Amino acid sequence: MGQVRVCVMRIEGTNREEDAQAAFEAAGADRVELVHLKQLAHSDTVPQDLHRTLDDYDILFIPGGFSAGDAVRGGAIWAARIHADLGDQIKSFIESGRPVGGVCNGFQVLLELGCLPGWAGTLPDEPEAALIQNDIGRFQSRFAELKREASTPCIWVSEVPEDNLLVPIAHGEGKFAFAPDTAEEDLKRLEAAGQIVFRYVKPDGSPAGGEFPYNPNGSIADIAGICNERGNVFGMMPHPENAIDPLQAPDWTRRPRTPCGLPIFESAVRYARGL
Amino acid sequence: MGTDHLYERIDAPFPFYRIKVLDATADELLELSQERNLALSAEEMGMLRDHFASEGRNPTDVELEATAQAWSEHCSYKSSWPILQSSIFRVEAPQNLLVIQEDAGLVTFDDDWAYVVAMESHNHPSALDPVGGAETGVGGILRDVVCMGAQPIALLDSLFFGPLDHPYDQVPAGIKHPLYLFRNVVAGVRDYGNQVGIPTVGGMVGFHPGYVSNCLVNVSCIGMVRKDRIIRSRAENVGDVFVLAGGRTGRDGIHGVSGLASQVISEDSEEVGRSAVQMGDAVTKEPLIHACLQCIDEDLVTGFKDLGGGGLSSCSGELAFDGGNGADLDLDRVPLKVADMAAWEIWVSESQERMMLVVPPEKVERVLSIFAAWDVEANAIGTVTDTRRMKLRYKGVAVADLDLEFYTGAVRYNRPYRVREHVGTPLPESAIEPQAALDQILASPNVASMAWIVQQYDTIVRGATVAGPLQGEYLHPGPGDAAVLKPLRESNRGLAMASDVNPYFCEIDAYWGAMSALEESMRNVIAVGGRPHAWADNLNFGNPEDPDRLGEFKAATDGMYHLANALGVPAVSGNVSLYNEGPTGSIPPTPAILMLGIVEDVRKTVTMDFKASGNPVYLIGQTHDELAGSEYARLLGDVGATRVPLVDPSSFRRKMDALLEAMDKELVRACHDLAEGGLSVALLEMLFGARDLGLTADVTRLPGTASRIDVKLFSESNGRFVAEVQAGAEADFERIMEGIALVRLGTLDDSGTLTVLDGGRPVLRKAVPDAYRLWSDALPKLLG
Repeated sequence: MGQVRVCVMRIEGTNREEDAQAAFEAAGADRVELVHLKQLAHSDTVPQDLHRTLDDYDILFIPGGFSAGDAVRGGAIWAARIHADLGDQIKSFIESGRPVGGVCNGFQVLLELGCLPGWAGTLPDEPEAALIQNDIGRFQSRFAELKREASTPCIWVSEVPEDNLLVPIAHGEGKFAFAPDTAEEDLKRLEAAGQIVFRYVKPDGSPAGGEFPYNPNGSIADIAGICNERGNVFGMMPHPENAIDPLQAPDWTRRPRTPCGLPIFESAVRYARGL
Repeated sequence: MGTDHLYERIDAPFPFYRIKVLDATADELLELSQERNLALSAEEMGMLRDHFASEGRNPTDVELEATAQAWSEHCSYKSSWPILQSSIFRVEAPQNLLVIQEDAGLVTFDDDWAYVVAMESHNHPSALDPVGGAETGVGGILRDVVCMGAQPIALLDSLFFGPLDHPYDQVPAGIKHPLYLFRNVVAGVRDYGNQVGIPTVGGMVGFHPGYVSNCLVNVSCIGMVRKDRIIRSRAENVGDVFVLAGGRTGRDGIHGVSGLASQVISEDSEEVGRSAVQMGDAVTKEPLIHACLQCIDEDLVTGFKDLGGGGLSSCSGELAFDGGNGADLDLDRVPLKVADMAAWEIWVSESQERMMLVVPPEKVERVLSIFAAWDVEANAIGTVTDTRRMKLRYKGVAVADLDLEFYTGAVRYNRPYRVREHVGTPLPESAIEPQAALDQILASPNVASMAWIVQQYDTIVRGATVAGPLQGEYLHPGPGDAAVLKPLRESNRGLAMASDVNPYFCEIDAYWGAMSALEESMRNVIAVGGRPHAWADNLNFGNPEDPDRLGEFKAATDGMYHLANALGVPAVSGNVSLYNEGPTGSIPPTPAILMLGIVEDVRKTVTMDFKASGNPVYLIGQTHDELAGSEYARLLGDVGATRVPLVDPSSFRRKMDALLEAMDKELVRACHDLAEGGLSVALLEMLFGARDLGLTADVTRLPGTASRIDVKLFSESNGRFVAEVQAGAEADFERIMEGIALVRLGTLDDSGTLTVLDGGRPVLRKAVPDAYRLWSDALPKLLG
């Protein structure tokens, strides 16, 4: 069993990298580093001793925040910089089968990069889906209930129970959408390949059916998270890294809860340990 | 211009003048002050002239502007300091580490850690540019915390607007409608706080007609710092280097503290003041914070201060002065947004996202490389000297050589004031049927749910939020009294925090109103299980040159001191904002309080939502005929009816100790402070956050003087809590509360209804879902 080393990537404007670090540490990862994109790109303005290489890590995680202020579109600038500076590194990392995860802004980045849903190759030229403005038109910070799909190849949910998870959301652009003209077909393909990992549900476990606030952003088919066909690349809009301690639940003074987000990180760490 | 002859052009590759104040008449000096928007009085201009006469020369435009910034009300506290020093600054407490003296207060958290408290207003900028004003308010308060060496962990906002449905034709010329200001201030707070990744965990919103022409935006930040990593805002070592880091310097924010913050708002403020509003940039701030904290972590910094009001001038002046030193600075090394700025503009610009580090020479290279790695600009711009003078050069020309004692050692005034006392009136004979009154009060903007706002703020980033601003069932939460954070991963010690003030009380009686604000904010943190530990205040008042306005200030500070001193809870930081007046007059006195409490074990945090059927519900404290300033009094159309709620420090202390003991023993399942709307609203709010619970509350015999049912239901008397106690623990609870005014109201049931009995008769019956709808729909309805 090898050591599990996690690279939590950051640039200017990422803000949940320390939360992600705490989550991986709680999940048993041996070493979790916050690594600036410029360290991986071996930029001139970064001292030599801080240069890093993606291949030296077992898990890559792209955290939430407002990278580069989310000018243009959420995650678009970060994705463009990854494409330009780390394209080869990230392509080979994904193709090696190691876990790659993105949450919130990180999910937006993975979609912008095209490695989710990843139908046209590991790093296609065009994104195939997008996260667009919430239906209610404003940023929402609240809690939502999710349920994992029973059959998915996603390696990030092997330890996740099939009960409702109560996880916070904090986003303005979280509505999962396909291009309107191909949406129906794309959705079928996503479902058929088991690429839908999480959907928003009501407290009784029934589908949210697009209804606010159960589905907090209006995502098509109540989608909260998806993976690639192989199951190693995974993104979700809610923040499991803020649900790793019982005291982070919104209603813990009413009823004790086990931390709903932790099993996601435990799944990735367990998988990486077995590689 | 009548003062043209006072300007002597000096040969330099930029616009540069000597101002011949020694030749000027008193009238010309005053005209000069007004023309240049210096906001200095005739007397102050005279002091300035005398100083330069003693140096045998005229000042340059840089020196004149620097002095005006340093002497502004905003930077110097010239009107407020003597009053503060004789009152709230006098509360001493063992937990105080470094209080009042710097931009933020430092208080002991545990053996190794301190927490940092900062609170500041951004009122006038927000009145002109609500998004930019609010954003830069949040940005500035974050810098105040970071420059102590601390990691920010939480933000709170205390916002005050005119009524959202204020008639458009009654909004004075040049003033923006409250609805517009409200939406945009909330957007500014949201965008900046969310982007920078510090949770916004609380605050308050108050509505009052007195804010129509002068909204208030008060922002607070809490941070954590290891005690051995605290950095002072001082340049103590001669030879150390000033490193300016962050955003570029531009023409935004010229005369923010003099022209904008220290004058009343008028029709012309938009035109005159627009250039005084800075522009914030959260995407620069976020890496700037990372880089600054990394420099501190690597022990590279000996002094640290943010650039806020007064810009480079105030920041470097205070660093050098407080270090007992001087400074030589080179303005050529300051990166500019536009090339053609005059030296004085560079010196006083309040452009955002800038920090000044004082760095030993051998560590400068490492500091610059850390900023470079974060793509944040940083430049060494000068050195610490032993001259006790501030010497500036720009493009090879000496542009200023100022005696620091003269310009940074501020002027102070003992202005005249007049304290007005509120005379109580008898209880009015008229009354409103409780059911009808309740429905209106639930939908009042000062009572209604603020979830529409709160749910736009990221309350949980950083993962330390144990109790947020909304508490209970997450789909229909109630309004939490205070937020609780668990700042350290390795410890269960927590910090409770809340902000409060009732401007209606303060308007009627500033003394009792301010004391009420302090007591209510203490009740807020006690309700979640926190022991009040330290507080900050943002003292928003009108023009101090009016004795009535300064009288309100004096009364308010005396009131706060009375309670703070009795309980030994120190004021550790804060901000004074005067001149909050516009065409509709002065704002009501608004001492907004930020209260911090220590929660010994966050796992014992108590939230305000009722928990379980079968548990008894108690009212703690006395209910009096104290209607003045209450929601109900306004419904009666008699806002001053009876008197404002008083405060009794000694009974409050006993109550606090007993309640916290009961909480520590885990006898209390829910607790809520009684405030706007009184007992009826508090009980309903506790039911909102629950699921399908109900209560029949018997109010026949309440402790206190209240005998009429409307007073019992709606009085906003201080010192009261509702507590849900674990069934079976009644005897233990009552024993702990012995000697304290207490009544058991009833027992929680599954009825989903609040029923109130008085003398065996039902006087109020309200289905909880109906009440919830009134309460939660009110604000969205006003927003349209």
